[in-house]
Amino acid sequence: MKKIIILIILATTVNFLFSYSIMNRFEGNFVENLDARSIAMGSATICGETNLFQSLINPANLVNVKSKFGFQTSGNFLVNTDNRALPMYNSFDGFSGEATYVSNVNLYDGYAFGAYYREKFISAAIVYHPFVSFESNYFEQVRNNANSNNNNYPPILAKNYLNGTGGIDALSFIVAGKMSIATLGCKLSKLSGNSHLERKIIWDDWAINEISDLQNDINYSDRNFEAFSTQFGANFQISERMMFGLSFTPKIEFDVSGFVMDTLGVDSMVFVYTKYDSLANPTDSLTFGDYTIPQKFRFGLNYQPRNIMRTNFNLDVEFVKWSDVCSLYEDATNFYLGVEHKLTNSIPFRFGFNYRTDYILSNHDGFTFADKVTLPTFSVGTGFEILDKFTFDFGLELTNRQYETLDLFMDSHYDYEELWANPQYLNFADRDWSNPDLVKETFLNLQTSISYKW
Amino acid sequence: MKKIIFVIICLLTISLYAEKLDLNTASLEELLQLPISANQAKDIYDYRFYVKYFETIFELREIESVDQKTLNILKSLVIVSHFDDRDDTATRRDEIYYLLERLGSNEGLQEGMSDVWEDHLMAPQNINKLTFSEILNFPNVSAIDAAAILKRRARGDTLSNIRDLRHTPGISYYGAKNLGNYVHFKDKYLNNKHYSKEKNNYYHVARKLYKRPSPIGEVMCTPYVWVGKLADYGFIIPEKRFYFDYQMKYKDSPYDGDAQEMYQESMVRFAEDSPNSTNQSYWGYFDMNFDRAEVMNKIRFRFKNELKAGLLFDSEKGANFTDLSFGESKYFVGYENDLNLFGRNNFKIYAGNYRATFGEGLVMENTDYYSPRKTGFGFNKRITGIIGDVSRTQEYSLKGLALDWKTEDFNLVFFISDDDKDAVIYDSNGNDSLDIDDDAFSFITMTKRFSNDELEDAEFYFNDYAGNDNFVKIAPRLDAINEKLIGGHFAYSPFIGTHLGFSGYEAIYSRDFVVPEGVDLRNLLISDIEYAADKWKITDNEVSAMYSTKSAEFGDRNFRRVFGVDWRTVLHNISFQGEYAELYTTQTFSNNFFSKILGRKKNRSPKALLMSAFAQYDNVYFLSLYRDYDLDFDNPYQRSFSESNRYDDTVFEKLKYGLNNTLLGDIYNNAAQPSAEKGFYFETRYQFHRMWTLSKAYLDIWERKSDARKGVRFEGKLEFKPIHQLRFKLRFKEQVKRYEDDLDRGKSQADELELKCLTYLSNFDKIQLGYIYTRVNQPPYLSILSNPAEPGGADMAQANTLTDGDMIYVDYTHRFNENLKMVGSFSFWYANGASFWDFEDIELDFEQTDKGWKTWFNLHSKISNNLYLSLKYKYKQFKTREIEFREYNDIPDSGEYYFKTVERKENIIRLQLDWKF
Repeated sequence: MKKIIILIILATTVNFLFSYSIMNRFEGNFVENLDARSIAMGSATICGETNLFQSLINPANLVNVKSKFGFQTSGNFLVNTDNRALPMYNSFDGFSGEATYVSNVNLYDGYAFGAYYREKFISAAIVYHPFVSFESNYFEQVRNNANSNNNNYPPILAKNYLNGTGGIDALSFIVAGKMSIATLGCKLSKLSGNSHLERKIIWDDWAINEISDLQNDINYSDRNFEAFSTQFGANFQISERMMFGLSFTPKIEFDVSGFVMDTLGVDSMVFVYTKYDSLANPTDSLTFGDYTIPQKFRFGLNYQPRNIMRTNFNLDVEFVKWSDVCSLYEDATNFYLGVEHKLTNSIPFRFGFNYRTDYILSNHDGFTFADKVTLPTFSVGTGFEILDKFTFDFGLELTNRQYETLDLFMDSHYDYEELWANPQYLNFADRDWSNPDLVKETFLNLQTSISYKW
Repeated sequence: MKKIIFVIICLLTISLYAEKLDLNTASLEELLQLPISANQAKDIYDYRFYVKYFETIFELREIESVDQKTLNILKSLVIVSHFDDRDDTATRRDEIYYLLERLGSNEGLQEGMSDVWEDHLMAPQNINKLTFSEILNFPNVSAIDAAAILKRRARGDTLSNIRDLRHTPGISYYGAKNLGNYVHFKDKYLNNKHYSKEKNNYYHVARKLYKRPSPIGEVMCTPYVWVGKLADYGFIIPEKRFYFDYQMKYKDSPYDGDAQEMYQESMVRFAEDSPNSTNQSYWGYFDMNFDRAEVMNKIRFRFKNELKAGLLFDSEKGANFTDLSFGESKYFVGYENDLNLFGRNNFKIYAGNYRATFGEGLVMENTDYYSPRKTGFGFNKRITGIIGDVSRTQEYSLKGLALDWKTEDFNLVFFISDDDKDAVIYDSNGNDSLDIDDDAFSFITMTKRFSNDELEDAEFYFNDYAGNDNFVKIAPRLDAINEKLIGGHFAYSPFIGTHLGFSGYEAIYSRDFVVPEGVDLRNLLISDIEYAADKWKITDNEVSAMYSTKSAEFGDRNFRRVFGVDWRTVLHNISFQGEYAELYTTQTFSNNFFSKILGRKKNRSPKALLMSAFAQYDNVYFLSLYRDYDLDFDNPYQRSFSESNRYDDTVFEKLKYGLNNTLLGDIYNNAAQPSAEKGFYFETRYQFHRMWTLSKAYLDIWERKSDARKGVRFEGKLEFKPIHQLRFKLRFKEQVKRYEDDLDRGKSQADELELKCLTYLSNFDKIQLGYIYTRVNQPPYLSILSNPAEPGGADMAQANTLTDGDMIYVDYTHRFNENLKMVGSFSFWYANGASFWDFEDIELDFEQTDKGWKTWFNLHSKISNNLYLSLKYKYKQFKTREIEFREYNDIPDSGEYYFKTVERKENIIRLQLDWKF
């Protein structure tokens, strides 16, 4: 009874969270991994011991599930910390580092559910899961420069917001079959969803008292997405100790519909650009209506050595054809590494590392550039079984990244002398790429999953 | 009758065993025949297959599905035979794993040397054949130890085992203990068991009978298992096999403070009306905020101890590590063997990158890394002679061919190298551009090796701001100088423990080194000409004294020649050693040491001298060392003992913000040469009681040549061990600079006191608590500024400042089991302007400044017999020094935009994967 109570408490307190960064507010955040065991092992689980959701990485994994029938539900807490800093200079005119001027901490959630059935050498599953999330949240206050000498808080002039909601969900059907040492799998997904992005400058009462005709600045865009996607995978049991796996996900091009209300200012540049050749002919462009997930090819191995703790060692390499999305991007290679040790009483201790690449588009004097942003991730996790049927897994991963970007709300928006105490000392010029913001982000992701096997 | 009963009992026993199933060899089908469930049989099979071979049948209870009742049933039906799936190499590696870990943790300080020692650990050599220098090259072995062994061998004695080695007259306890790990006592074979050709054949039979072992697939009884069994019966495992070591290191960490400061300094601060922009510095121009991971891939290959090869791909921070370029890699192929020709002849031949080290490092020791107080004793060893080089040394690596021939009495080394070196060049011909015709200023080890095109683009961009008067006229360039180097070493040993050696090299350069003189030099380096004279200090004599191939005094040359003589002799328990070197100044030898001996002319060549004496007793040793290096002894390959590295306190360290090109800061940041200094150094270790040990104490009294500043430094470490599990350690350090001038405000004094308590828990877990208190009394910052101190001045500190700070830390090591270990640490400090050095588990962190805290943990996992993984995560948060900054475009008249401290947060991930097979 006690176990059942614990189980119910755990099941009801699982929060399903995913989430997200202002950097990816247009492109969204691709949700690839939903399995807590896999997260804890650095997402390096293209083959080997398997939970249902690991078949979202490689459909062939579905054959390796341990029971005839089962289901899995999963979710996570994700804390995104976004620290935004501006450059500072010392008294010798030397650039001496950055000072953080705004910090946003956000929590996001999401959920996934799936069930499978296995009959001898063939398995099938259906999974409903998030595929891309457009959730994002940013808030900053603009205060004037009065009273700060006396340790008083200056009055608020305006509040600035960036909010993104929506996401693309997937309903996936997975089939996998085993032949001798080989396992083949296929996944078909129906993808649909929407995105709403809002950007607001809301003047505060103090500012409106000073200048009565101040107008709030509100822009937004809405997009709807539809697509089908496929994924193919295979596993090869080379020996009792080693398994080799691979998966291929073709490029996904979405049908996008929607509209932009007003302009989105500088931000809009990041998803609308045109590239010209030497004769000024347009050769490539990325527009509001384009939304593409790049083609991916992933392979890896699972190695189970003889070790006084039962051990799984996984290593995956993934090629992402970023040039599918934009010609300015270079194709990239991601690396995943994970270890699982079974300690005393078979309690697993898992840890892992992965190194992924993301891109950010930026515009400088009319030229568009792509900057590579790397995401090194460290992860740990564990799990336990309850009532012989339920398995709880926990994975915690920590990712840090930093990138440069332009000021989200340029200074010229506040160029009203009446609002400032000593306007003669201030310069309301917009900071360009000579003085960009440095953004340091931390993602702390707690992934939980509950598996039930019949 | 008794005999008959005995025979019957034996037969019965054998027959009983014959019916029982061996858990370590039974197939799954055989296990299924036992009166247990199919799941239990599978679990037993899996346990043996994935966890371990059974050592006793009682281990069955470790399997979750096997209860006591099942065990009782199985007891009478099964037996367990001895099995070990490790091959000889894996067994050896397990034996010495703690030593390998220690070598790994010192890798930063012993760049490239730990590989050599690891090879010796894995394939020990026969101590009865090694020469004096070969024995001396092992860590923690003194010349007295080496001489003791050779003297014993000279008497016709043979060392037969470790106990025998320990009883060698004159050898120290620690010397014998350390040496024992690196040597064996018979020829050709790993262990000292009796060798027999016939028995050895069993090994080959076993290999033929059974499948070749595969690292990935399981063969139930590998030949190694059989060989392991055979070894138990006295059979021998020959070492004739290939060894591969693959190592990958990934480190994602920020640039250290000095480098970051250098890159962030503005390159155009004297340009009028230039808006402040991050792009005005190298940091902003190259978006160095994006530079993250540093990745190293190293592969080493060895066949016995004869054929060796290595390949290194080292991708620095910011580079694309998936883009492996063979041109940028380091590699070597080497062959070593013995030849019996009038006694033992050992010869080595290396092609590719190699390391050459002789004597005390005055003439040649080619590494990019500086190590303070490198005595050549204890943990500060040098490996003399030639070794293959796949270390991260880049600038001072030698590339070519090297030969090393040793007999008991002679050692002859010859090496040639042809390599392009990075160098700082400047607009010597005044054509307002940096080109192929310009002279070089010095070698430089760049923190980040931007390509020449990148550097030129950046300079073009900075020039745009600065205008013609301030164009970048001095800058580093990759591969700017081709260096053709030829060198050698000859040593003769007339009797045991004594040798006289001669070393020398000549480097021929494709470009001239010319260091301008006087005002020209200041103006070349310092961007603000108006204040250049004020900012140029007496310590900058070290810069003026850099080597020029062209000089008014010595004429035009295209070479640098360094020649030295080194010696050592062992008298009883004292060894005397030293080296004298000269940098030749002229085309002929007329001005050098030998011409002076011959009474021809006054010797005007820059000189360097190091002499030391080492006395060794049972529980104590004393080392005394004297060094005296001329200021203009500018040998880029000198790595001898010193208190600080070259260019300390010069404009390259103190005036980075005022240099014409901030990248020149790397001349100091990565300087590997010792500073020109003279002085005495004394060191001792003394265990004066079973519980009390003065684990290390040294006193250094020296004078810096550039400004005659005198310094003294003392450090003592005392250990109290009331019981084995509990240790208290006390460390005290005091350093005084310019101690002789009480009235001079240049005097500085730094004290540091550390107390730590270490306790060993069960299962080799340990916990350590520590506290450090530091106090610094230093002169005002004005001493390096142009402004003279003014009494009563309000803006800056006018008197000495006394700052103090402390740090508290706790380290914990937890071993889950013998294959999984976690080390964690937390520390907090409040330094008030002082700083702390922290020796973390495998690296050194010296940026504990101001107020902050950090925590890290490192997971060490042995995945399999030949695969090791360590993963470290560190978080550090600290306030940087007071920084005043203003809004990006305007100087504030009031204080609105003035920030006093800035918090810095760092996340560091370090991953290391070792695959040895």
